[in-house]
Amino acid sequence: MRYAKFTPFLFILPMLVGLLVFRLIPIGFSFGISFTSWNIFSPPRWIGFDNYRTLLQSPAFWEVARNTVVFALVFVPVVMGLGLSLALLVNQKLRGSTFFRGVFFMPYITSIVAVALAWKWILATRFGLLNNALMDWFGVQHPPSWLGDPRYALFAVAFVLAWQSAGFQMLLFLAGLQNIDESLKEAAMIDGASRGQVFRFITLPLLSPITFFVLIISLIASSQTFEVTYALTGGGPQRASTTLAFYIYQNAFVHFQMGFASSLAYTLLLFVGGLTLVNFVLRRRWVHYG
Amino acid sequence: MADVRRDARLVQLEIVSAAMGARRRKRLRSLVTNVAVYGSLLVFAFITLFPFFWMLITSFKLPGDVFRLPPNLRPSLLWTETPFANYTQVLFQFDFLRYAGNSLFVATTAATGQLVTCSLAGFAFARMRFPLKNVLFGLLIFTLLVPIEVTIIPEFLLMVRLGWLDTYLPLIVPSLMVGAFGTFLLTEYFKTVPASLEEAATIDGASPFAIYRHIFLPLATPALASLFVIAFITNWNELLRPVLYISDRNLRTLPLGLTTLQGQYESSWTLLMAGSVISILPMILVYLAAQKYIIRGFMSSGIK
Repeated sequence: MRYAKFTPFLFILPMLVGLLVFRLIPIGFSFGISFTSWNIFSPPRWIGFDNYRTLLQSPAFWEVARNTVVFALVFVPVVMGLGLSLALLVNQKLRGSTFFRGVFFMPYITSIVAVALAWKWILATRFGLLNNALMDWFGVQHPPSWLGDPRYALFAVAFVLAWQSAGFQMLLFLAGLQNIDESLKEAAMIDGASRGQVFRFITLPLLSPITFFVLIISLIASSQTFEVTYALTGGGPQRASTTLAFYIYQNAFVHFQMGFASSLAYTLLLFVGGLTLVNFVLRRRWVHYG
Repeated sequence: MADVRRDARLVQLEIVSAAMGARRRKRLRSLVTNVAVYGSLLVFAFITLFPFFWMLITSFKLPGDVFRLPPNLRPSLLWTETPFANYTQVLFQFDFLRYAGNSLFVATTAATGQLVTCSLAGFAFARMRFPLKNVLFGLLIFTLLVPIEVTIIPEFLLMVRLGWLDTYLPLIVPSLMVGAFGTFLLTEYFKTVPASLEEAATIDGASPFAIYRHIFLPLATPALASLFVIAFITNWNELLRPVLYISDRNLRTLPLGLTTLQGQYESSWTLLMAGSVISILPMILVYLAAQKYIIRGFMSSGIK
């Protein structure tokens, strides 16, 4: 189709303005801010690489960085494992599988603040349901304070987020499973392959492009955890469940250190970008494009 | 001769019974698998639904009952004269009715706006040729990968400069104008429309806007429905922007109201759970009504 030269730009204008004003310019701007000392009440002052030097030398940053990595190492495999299991289960052509699919996806569309509160109440140390079940049914003497103990808080946050978002990963895997040609599986079965072999040598390889996509999405989601932390632990106790995204929020909007927070934001971007890049490089090893 | 025949019959019998056995084993095995599948489905469904169930039960308890051990499933408030006391308190005394109204306004406006901007851009990306098209589309998708933390500080400074703090605008405008996901969804959808429709309309003298408005938009109704509900739900649940931009209590959205309530009444679990039900229930109703569109929309985000 031929249209007048300026027509396409009229159509994309609103989105283009938004892309520039709320995405591209801020991405560049925050890079600039990251070289300043700026508490928004006084004008920014150029300090070169000082923010980056400060953060690399601060034990708090390394604790937060370690939390971010641990969080990703827990959250990503759990949410992907859950997502794939749920997808395989609802993909069996059994009666009621649409109903179950609807159930599993439900937490994803509900407010994370509200479900985090429900979990906070379930995980409460003394009156919470979980600890009382552990004491009464399993004879655990002193069940832990899940959200108040620095050893468990981070894991609890990761678990709640995985519980809430596994339904989304399930949908993505399900879309992938439904794209797999059934006749390939049948052919393998006729040749005497067991169900396990079919899964291992046919389903998994054919699913691998989707698995890759889900991996990237889950990594990004795990690096952006703000809401669940805000509602569940506030990053505590002390800094035990503070991940980089939450630390940026605290520095920028609690302590108003815009420059330092921006240098943290760029560290986060570097972290996410680096991981994504590594994954794209490693992709050739395990992702099959049919 | 007779022996041979008898042997042959025996062999035949063996084959038949072996086949029957195999079939029986197969049926048994598929029964076992079905039981295992249903069992796992039920366990997962329980884990998924229980927190909602417990939220609901707690919201119908007398405030003192939540600290009674061992915990029980009795919604004790239902046997009193004011079974909805927790809800009325949260809705009227703690202003959740107003917060719900704010959430509804913000989510509806942002989602409607996204339909307009995303469908306009999607139409251009799918059906027109223009310089830098692929670069722009690539940048749009790239911004999906950039964490919000990277852009939120300049965005905040911009909102301060514009004097938009404590208005609805910062909750609506950024979300309305950068619908990367929606643009992607609609571009893919518009690409599937046959070119002949477009050509026929042009020959009849229709303007590009008329083609978009009268041919493409009506055809895209299912995709638009998906995008609307998804954008509505996302904006309804949004927390970060309200936390940053809203301090006027009259403008609070439900998630912000809920976290504020939590800060003030940390262990009033009956009130907190009633507030949670209030902020979740509308979304569950939307979900039940439009599940088809929501699932389809999210599923297509995974297919290239």
